[in-house]
Amino acid sequence: MKIAIVSGKGGVGKSMLTSSLVMFFSQKKKVVAVDCDVDAPNLHLWLGEDEKWDETKKVSVSEKPIIDFKKCIGCGQCVEICAFDALKLRKGKPALNQFFCEGCGACEVVCPVKAITMKKVKNAEIRVKKNVYGFPLISAQLYPGETGSGKIVDQIKEKAEGFKHELMVLDSPAGIGCPVIATLNGTDFAILISEPTPSGFSDMKRVLTVVNHFKIPYGVVINKWDINPEQSSEIEKWAKNKLLGKVSYDKQIFRAISNLKPIIKTNLAVKKEIKEIYTKLQKTL
Amino acid sequence: MNITQIGVTGGKGGTGKSTVSILLANKFRKKKRKVVLCDCDVECPNDYLLLGQKLKNPVKKVYAQFPKLDKDKCQQCGLCVKNCRSGAIFQPPGKQPFFLHELCSGCGLCWHLCPYQAIGVEKKVIGEIFENQIDKNFYLVTGRSVGVVDETGPIVTKLKEVALGLAKKIKTDYLLVDTAVGMHCGVIRALIGVDFAYTVTEPTPLGAHDLRLILKLLKTLKVPTKIILNQADLGKKELINKISKDAGVGIKYEILYSKKLVIAYSQGELGKVNIL
Repeated sequence: MKIAIVSGKGGVGKSMLTSSLVMFFSQKKKVVAVDCDVDAPNLHLWLGEDEKWDETKKVSVSEKPIIDFKKCIGCGQCVEICAFDALKLRKGKPALNQFFCEGCGACEVVCPVKAITMKKVKNAEIRVKKNVYGFPLISAQLYPGETGSGKIVDQIKEKAEGFKHELMVLDSPAGIGCPVIATLNGTDFAILISEPTPSGFSDMKRVLTVVNHFKIPYGVVINKWDINPEQSSEIEKWAKNKLLGKVSYDKQIFRAISNLKPIIKTNLAVKKEIKEIYTKLQKTL
Repeated sequence: MNITQIGVTGGKGGTGKSTVSILLANKFRKKKRKVVLCDCDVECPNDYLLLGQKLKNPVKKVYAQFPKLDKDKCQQCGLCVKNCRSGAIFQPPGKQPFFLHELCSGCGLCWHLCPYQAIGVEKKVIGEIFENQIDKNFYLVTGRSVGVVDETGPIVTKLKEVALGLAKKIKTDYLLVDTAVGMHCGVIRALIGVDFAYTVTEPTPLGAHDLRLILKLLKTLKVPTKIILNQADLGKKELINKISKDAGVGIKYEILYSKKLVIAYSQGELGKVNIL
């Protein structure tokens, strides 16, 4: 069983909720936690972990074209096919903008004189901590400026499968594009979390289009509901029976995370509220 | 005429990129300068909501090409499946392949590779671009992806073209570029071409962690930057001070937690707040 926590908007509480739920679940089940925010992974911090990993492995999730200029005849077909504007002709020869290159390999295929070879680049690392409160955490970092976030999400999900588990909990990145699609693909249940603001609500509905595309059953959590009770009740009405629960705003959460203290190791009211969500979730799953 | 292009980015989500973008616009407007704000978070655009606007008729649509199988020509050779780096082509044993457009980047490799010319091209709308005039001196240009789109980067590039075009046409002083969260291609495409960028963060280990990463990216992109510390009075400021010192990147503004700001944010009235 796989559950993913998504939101569209960033900073609305995905990792806070994921870390707490996974810790609750680990008391009864064999779990594995996966941080799919490979751009800016933070789940380890919410679990009170610093940067000491049991295993760090450099991986390649992308390829880049190497152009043999002795062979290149400057025909420009590679420039023409590139859907990402990563190749431009400069003084009659193709020049690569590495930041735009998706490593798709279309240029290699189209080159009539075989002057282009795709070469793997080590552009990310996968990190594993085998025992965080009795469960493993898989995380990854795509090096800044590199592409291939969806592919590395696929890789860490595969890595997580290698650990014996009954439940895999995936913390999604923000947005609704490539790495979010990769996170949701193959997931059995999604938890949509939002804050009661027009942006939070709008982005939650945007990520729901991806959840619905994959026909994934879902539940809704409203974080910081009391900062705007009116907007919160609007989201509640919209969510109907999908509502899993509400979490209140507490400045102390800021302090807890500043001291790397997981929410369920505190005595804050939000701990109780998340426990109720956990209980309801157990019945729903 | 010179248009100053300023990026607003941050790595971590929810630190206040959109808020800061609008506060900066307000600051320039107060000085009677003309501003175009470009919301490059095409997956989850929010600036229009913070300004109490609606996205009505797109001024431009962004298209991408996707593969389409000609079933009569396909010989089930499997070459397309084997070579697709996006894992977007699936072929059940003994059957014809099919294309998963939600995983497809639209790169075109498969239709050029197919030895039987069995793969055609289907054009689809992947994004829309909107323009809103907020007042005489303030315009908003927004990009928004349409449906389930794997590769949103090209929408950002097209969006910036439109925003720059408008900026030149109306002779604006500033083009503000509000990026998405993270450090992916959409963020990079938004930051390419900016003269300078503000990095918005919060005083927590999360903010600090992601600040280090985004500063690294900005250095790679050769974009000069200054930090804006939001909710500066909550959490641990020393975490950010240390990074600022280590990286030699100064803190330009500190924004304190304010109920007034939160209310303006959630009521679409951020355009009226002047605190920078």
